[in-house]
Amino acid sequence: MINSFQNKIITELPDIAKIDFKNINRNYLKIILINVLLLFISLSIGLFFLIDKKLVNKIPAYIPLIYSAFFLIFILIFIFIIVGFPKRKYALRDKDISYKSGVLTKTITTVPFSRIQHVEIDQGPISRFFGLSCLTVFTAGDSSHDLEIKGITNEQAIQIKEFISTTINES
Amino acid sequence: MSHKYSFLKFSRQSSKGVIVIYGDMLIKILKQTWVLFLIFVSRISQISEIQSFYMYLGIFSIFIFTLIRAYLSYRNFKFKINNNHFVLEKGIIKKTNISIAFDRIQNINFKQNLIQQFINVYGVSIETAGSNKTEITIKALSHHKALALKELISISNISNEIVDEKEKPLLNINTRELLKVSLTENHFRSLFLFLALIVGFFQQIEQVFESFGKKEYINEYLNKSTEVVLGSIILIILVFLCLLFISIFSSFVGVFLRHFNLFLFVRKDAFEINQGLLTKKSIVLKKQKVQSITVSSNPFKRWVGISYVVFKQALSGKMKNKKDKAIKIIGCKHDQVNLIKSHLFDSGQIDTSQKHYTDSYFKIRLLFQCSFILLVINSSNFLIFNNFDVLYINSLLIPLCYFLIHKKNKKTFYKISSNLLLVGKGLVDTHHTYFQLFKVQNITTKQTIFQERRDVVDLILQTASGKIRIPCIPSKNATEIYNHILFNVETSEQPWM
Repeated sequence: MINSFQNKIITELPDIAKIDFKNINRNYLKIILINVLLLFISLSIGLFFLIDKKLVNKIPAYIPLIYSAFFLIFILIFIFIIVGFPKRKYALRDKDISYKSGVLTKTITTVPFSRIQHVEIDQGPISRFFGLSCLTVFTAGDSSHDLEIKGITNEQAIQIKEFISTTINES
Repeated sequence: MSHKYSFLKFSRQSSKGVIVIYGDMLIKILKQTWVLFLIFVSRISQISEIQSFYMYLGIFSIFIFTLIRAYLSYRNFKFKINNNHFVLEKGIIKKTNISIAFDRIQNINFKQNLIQQFINVYGVSIETAGSNKTEITIKALSHHKALALKELISISNISNEIVDEKEKPLLNINTRELLKVSLTENHFRSLFLFLALIVGFFQQIEQVFESFGKKEYINEYLNKSTEVVLGSIILIILVFLCLLFISIFSSFVGVFLRHFNLFLFVRKDAFEINQGLLTKKSIVLKKQKVQSITVSSNPFKRWVGISYVVFKQALSGKMKNKKDKAIKIIGCKHDQVNLIKSHLFDSGQIDTSQKHYTDSYFKIRLLFQCSFILLVINSSNFLIFNNFDVLYINSLLIPLCYFLIHKKNKKTFYKISSNLLLVGKGLVDTHHTYFQLFKVQNITTKQTIFQERRDVVDLILQTASGKIRIPCIPSKNATEIYNHILFNVETSEQPWM
């Protein structure tokens, strides 16, 4: 890389490694846990009936094993969520928006405002109870890899959306 | 240029176009019903005269009905150009009105299949980034209108000077060079394409037989014939030779059909590509809409000194057939590749900048992935054959894997300059992707816990034409590139498409 350009980066644009990311709202952890718990309950009811009706006569020896594997998986998922939650962070700069997350695989994504096609705010039933929403930013191309910030308060989401749309329209 | 057609008023397709539309509709019907037709023919002796009379009557009425439909769809198909928009009205019962702004058009294809060549009309399709289907398809446009349209859309502010320049093409592939290209094609791929065609053919037959409740019959037949084949080694060798021949032959046919008589012209802000044997195709591709280009080559092609260039354009949503939208130019020599590059962007800096290879962790990761695959292959082999002898195949597989990993590792690199990024990748083939930094849509870095220990990351650049991945580079470099690209994107004034 050419040296003059590196200088420009430092003077005009703060380093991605140095920006301070904000945590997402703590209530969002409750929402994830409630969702997983609901999934857990419905799956365990299903598993119970499956074993009770079909498997109990065929493979009685394995039944405790199946149950314990099932519980173990869910306990691991819970631990994973709780450990991973503080890693979910976002940052807003003058000209771009960034999001980072991940325990085993850490990812950081940055979308410059000038490439944003549109912004969406979603709110599920449980999120509405807590007053949280999910902000999704869409860019052109393969739409599956865009930036999604889950669990910020509704006001924040609307603010960010307004901020982005005014910046896009100005340029 | 007073003779040029202006498209100011609504006009229809060429009146001869009814034939083309009719032909297209008949082919569509035939494609859906040919198996039924075969059954009908094979049972013709069992059908009584009166029944067959009704059959013929039915077929006849389908022909008449289709003809009426073709005529009506011709009558209701109108288009014009209105203040830099292409406007199209179509539909017999359900009316559709499409309007596309000129500067949103990505490329225009002019096609001539055999019927169209015979009556001298052109099929035109206009594509934008908006949907994965072709937005506008005109089946039969008369010669002078097609020429006028081509000039109107591709070179809106054309000067006479450039028209003269059109006469000498940047690239022209004659039959001898085409032969070279087809000999050095990836024959495995052509074989797979051929086999896929055959499998699709059988599936269609099977579907029909299934609906007649005769699936067992055809399966039994297939089983019997496979048993016979597997019984004899000579037959296997014969089949192998046959497949080899078929694969080479099918790559020949594929290349000749698609790329016969290829011409590449450079216009002011577009490329024009003409090619095709039976179906003549002419593509007008706007330079500004090109998101990235990939220069690819394989060992054979490198040996004869040719490579091919693929232009990638913006895609929308999730597309199944991404390859279809990529525009490929075969048989480019080295300086022709450079010319194409220089027409798209300033590539001077990138050639002199330093080549960065991936961290050694990349090779380790590949080794792990490969040994996992080998493990799966071995254990499934062992379970199927229940015999230790099959494990000897490893003496072949392991060196092959190691060789491929070594190749892949050697071919993965990147070069960056102030405005351009070059990413190299490849296994047997070599692919060099060039793209302008300001056309990046968003950037992601990924770091697994194993990578964290080594302080390397994967860098993923999302462009409008797909992902570009630089695996396993030191985090310090990655951060530099990250900031550099963001800087480029956020300060650029040029439109990315």
